[in-house]
Amino acid sequence: MAFHPRENWDPRTRRRLYSRREFLWRAGAVGASLPVMSALLAACGDGGEDAVAEVVIGTPSNPATQPLSDSNPMIESGMAAEAGPLKIYNWADYLNPDTIEEAKAALGVDIELTTYFNEEEALQKLISGEVNFDVWFPVASTVGKSVAGQLIQPINHDYIPNLANVWPQLADPFYDKGSQYSVPYTVYQTGIAWREDMVDSADVDIDNPYDVFWNPKYKGITGLYDDFRETLHMVMHRQGVGNTPDATQAQVDAAADALLELVDLMDIRYSIDGAYAGIPEGKYGLHMSWSGDIVAAPYYFPEDGDPSVTRYLWPAHGKGTVRANIANDTIAVLKGAESPVLAHQFLNFMLDETNAVNNFGWVGYQPPQNGLDVDSLVADEWVPEYLSSAIVLPEDFDNDRGEVPIQLNAEQEKMLLDAWARVQAGG
Amino acid sequence: MPTNVQAAETQAVGQRAWVWPAFAAPGLIWLALLFLVPFYAVIAVAMGDLDPIFLKPVPEWNPLQWDPSSFGRVLAGIFGGQLGRIAARTIVYVAVASLLCVIIGYPVAYFVARRVQKHKGLWLTGLLAPFWINYLMRMLAWVNLLGPDGWVNRFVEAIGFAPQDWLGGRHEVVILGLVYGYLPFFILPLYASLDRMDKQVLEAARDLGASPVQSFLRVTLPMSKQGILAGVVLIMLPMFGDYYTPNLLSGSPRTRMIGNQIDQFINQTSSQGGDGAALTIVLMVAIAVLMLYYLLNIQKVTKEARE
Repeated sequence: MAFHPRENWDPRTRRRLYSRREFLWRAGAVGASLPVMSALLAACGDGGEDAVAEVVIGTPSNPATQPLSDSNPMIESGMAAEAGPLKIYNWADYLNPDTIEEAKAALGVDIELTTYFNEEEALQKLISGEVNFDVWFPVASTVGKSVAGQLIQPINHDYIPNLANVWPQLADPFYDKGSQYSVPYTVYQTGIAWREDMVDSADVDIDNPYDVFWNPKYKGITGLYDDFRETLHMVMHRQGVGNTPDATQAQVDAAADALLELVDLMDIRYSIDGAYAGIPEGKYGLHMSWSGDIVAAPYYFPEDGDPSVTRYLWPAHGKGTVRANIANDTIAVLKGAESPVLAHQFLNFMLDETNAVNNFGWVGYQPPQNGLDVDSLVADEWVPEYLSSAIVLPEDFDNDRGEVPIQLNAEQEKMLLDAWARVQAGG
Repeated sequence: MPTNVQAAETQAVGQRAWVWPAFAAPGLIWLALLFLVPFYAVIAVAMGDLDPIFLKPVPEWNPLQWDPSSFGRVLAGIFGGQLGRIAARTIVYVAVASLLCVIIGYPVAYFVARRVQKHKGLWLTGLLAPFWINYLMRMLAWVNLLGPDGWVNRFVEAIGFAPQDWLGGRHEVVILGLVYGYLPFFILPLYASLDRMDKQVLEAARDLGASPVQSFLRVTLPMSKQGILAGVVLIMLPMFGDYYTPNLLSGSPRTRMIGNQIDQFINQTSSQGGDGAALTIVLMVAIAVLMLYYLLNIQKVTKEARE
């Protein structure tokens, strides 16, 4: 039976069935025993039997089909669009305002955009059930839990012919086979960005490019992302562990210790805007960087600045053998959408090549479009020549040294969070 | 005469005891809604559960179901864990910054209240001017001034020293940021207290042979104690919860304050949101103790004044 896992109390006795500690223990124990599925226990209110809400976690080697459920049906084909307005819930600065205007004209409705600063904030509001939007932009590793928690509804592909425009690597993605609940929005790598006038490129272009973050030559001008997963993964890539959810406590601890070293060695700082804004301002000479952040960076340079000093390397393209993260964001239709047909039409609109490229020009994050010739991105000046290394190629998703982040179960997430708390308190 | 008017008002409505409470009711309800309801919500999150799928805190509204384990974790963290270092650092930052505010702010308030004869309005406007600019904007201005190519480094270079990495996680920069940001909030109440001080008392001190220094130390300073205390309380409360000053002027783990930790628990690693709520309440209780000292002091002074 379909059951919302938040209802983990017995309505007759009003007793909570598991404490947080018990829950973490159970979720961890079950998660550890199943490679691709973390079964999460919830009590069944009406009969007292256990109901199991499953978060289906796909991996590239073991792709997952997200389950369909009678209680969360997809919309019928051929329905007329609602009168709107279409309500979109998205990251801040993650949709070109011109693209929104064009979507309004194309769909013939008004569009209301509400933004959030991080996915934690978005999820917190969405699961409270107190916000009401039609379209949302989850990261790929959140799709599985959004299906299990019935936040998003299945997509009727009859409305989305433009799905055919998407790279084959992502049209049938491992986290949601058949794109049943989500369509890809943007792709990005996690790499290293620097200013050539402050950092010697030869110090980055080494066998283990991550070592540059531990190079005291760049003390005081180095920054890392204030993001527990990305930054701990970066260190784990440096140490050859990778972003595997199966990392041991000792491996995670070693990553935290390596980050703690940086406090005195490098005067390290953590920021979220350090790559796209801090590098142009000269606040940082070297920063971890999502490829999309650094593509946007030239627009943030001061008028008398020279953006052409910006450089980017995805370590999986570097000399040695180290790996690096690559990921994608998606667009989904929320289960509680008041205008689901419009929402489908919007997804189709965003997968149109012209619209996707126009949006890219402002957002800096690249859409995985077949028709988009990567060389032409430079020729057409969407991306400057000196940052052509930040263009994501379809084959990057097939690269053995590219690793996609996989959704963590509770125990794995807790392990990283505890390590991160230690890192952030450090020094 | 004000006293007669007051008496007349009291007389006119004196028969109806509900009138004064009724006047206060809208304000009291407003305060109750804006304090009690959010406060209860914070407790409900601290004592609540974790959504098993999204790992986000779910408030538990029923007190019978409250689970205090997050307080256990937070207190264990403060007394012997990572949080202890952050809490100690926060206390030191706030104490040093408050002391600096007193040292810098007192002469300014004293000067404007006592020594300025002409254009007092202009001086007062000057004291109020920082309030016209948003705190965040004032901090962002410092980020530019202290940046690698900022004016501060240009000046340092011009006088023959090596440029410094001011924003690289320096305790003194964060403390000075706090002082700069909160100083106007200290000066204003102190100014008010010095300004309304009875000048005849000072004249009496001088007539009785006290030197200017003696009359300051024996009369002005003790009489402005309330103003200092009010100013210190006013700046300490927001300083304890501040997180964007260390964020903007440093960003290093070396300068993290309690506010940064709460921000991280709630906004970034929100599966620890319950711990964030518990830490918020622990901080609130600690601040309430400070407030209690202030209130008791006021009570004592008021009593002394009556006697």
